[in-house]
Amino acid sequence: MKFYQPTTLKQALKVLANEDDARCLAGGATLVAMMNANLLAPSALVSLSAVKGLAGITRRKNGSVTIGAMTRHQAVADTAALDGGQRLVREAAALIGHPAIRNMGTIGGSISHADPAADYPTALVTANATVTIENSRAKREIDAQNFFTGYLETALEPGDIVVAVSIPAGVAGAGSAYEKFARVQGDFATVSAGVVLALEKGVCRHARIAVGGCAATPIRVAAAEAKLVGSRLQDSAVAAAGVLLAAACDPIDDFRGSSEYRLMILPTILARAVSKARVRAETVS
Amino acid sequence: MTTTVPITLTINGALHQAFVQPWHTLLHVLRDVLHFTGTKRGCNQGICGACSVIVDGEVVRGCLSIAANCQGRTITTIEGLANGNTLSNVQQAFLELGAVQCGYCMPGMIIAATALLKRTPKPTEEEIREGLSGNLCRCSGYVKVVRAVQVASERGTS
Repeated sequence: MKFYQPTTLKQALKVLANEDDARCLAGGATLVAMMNANLLAPSALVSLSAVKGLAGITRRKNGSVTIGAMTRHQAVADTAALDGGQRLVREAAALIGHPAIRNMGTIGGSISHADPAADYPTALVTANATVTIENSRAKREIDAQNFFTGYLETALEPGDIVVAVSIPAGVAGAGSAYEKFARVQGDFATVSAGVVLALEKGVCRHARIAVGGCAATPIRVAAAEAKLVGSRLQDSAVAAAGVLLAAACDPIDDFRGSSEYRLMILPTILARAVSKARVRAETVS
Repeated sequence: MTTTVPITLTINGALHQAFVQPWHTLLHVLRDVLHFTGTKRGCNQGICGACSVIVDGEVVRGCLSIAANCQGRTITTIEGLANGNTLSNVQQAFLELGAVQCGYCMPGMIIAATALLKRTPKPTEEEIREGLSGNLCRCSGYVKVVRAVQVASERGTS
């Protein structure tokens, strides 16, 4: 195994283009655990720790927030830059693992691994985030929703690096929330839900929902969002949205919960997230 | 082809050098190369927290840190908390309150508690439980651990 410590993105991309089966080492929280378990033995590690410009959170004039791929979970959890419809992203970051994991793990590493029970995928799909990807030949952007293509699968091709995630300002006056149910604190989600809402005189005029831990990727259902828009977010409307989402999910059975159990609690977790996001949207508007 | 990487670490205030392989973790190098055996290996998966160490002021998992990536960093292990024969506030409080059962998780617990009090000097009970949520005690003796962190907090830092 070789070890590379590039100091520029260009150098890192060149190594990845030339090394078969090299892996980027971001925070190590997932990659090193897999190496320790003998699940993975890359031909080379390309450490991104010394690459300039990959870490940091920038709020732009248009209200969008760009988070560099090497930004640690704790930095996202602590940032004041994410507010309104973006707030659920920092709420999700604060629920990832434990303090030591949040000091190590990065947003780029987390989404590249693409565990559907992880917190960022669901939060970023809800927030309509864009993922910026670069390789030695080109740079491209892709919606978070299209980035996650399957269980631990993404739109990344060999030689690609996630360089940043951008969260748009979104709808003015929106409130958002990320709700997770896990059997123990800091665990991956049994079920999670992200919600962005905007209200006008108590009537919902915008809704975006994604649920996690219930399928190979975060799940969005346009018809479920449509159930909320135009409603006063009464229990029956939220329950109807939950039913539509559950119908689109296909959870696995594992030690975090059976498929049946996940589908049973999904509407409750969604209702909690809607309730929180609603209070926040009412405070804003 | 294998690359051997030379690294220099500042551990508990002293410089140490080692030649490491790319897959070696900081935990491995601390315990098996440099013989800082106070830091424990539990799950080796980042779950249990027994290997917690402080790197550049922040608590991290020794088992998930690639040693070659730690070149030039400053590390505090459990061996570095006491000042000669004087225990740190956190260590003293754990001792007085009998927070130790079998003891295996204690280096990680004490390191995590030390990092928590640095970030949040006067934590609530909930903040203490959250701050130590990544440190598992298989004796399940958490009540006295939480109390010990409260006592250490009341006495001030370090």
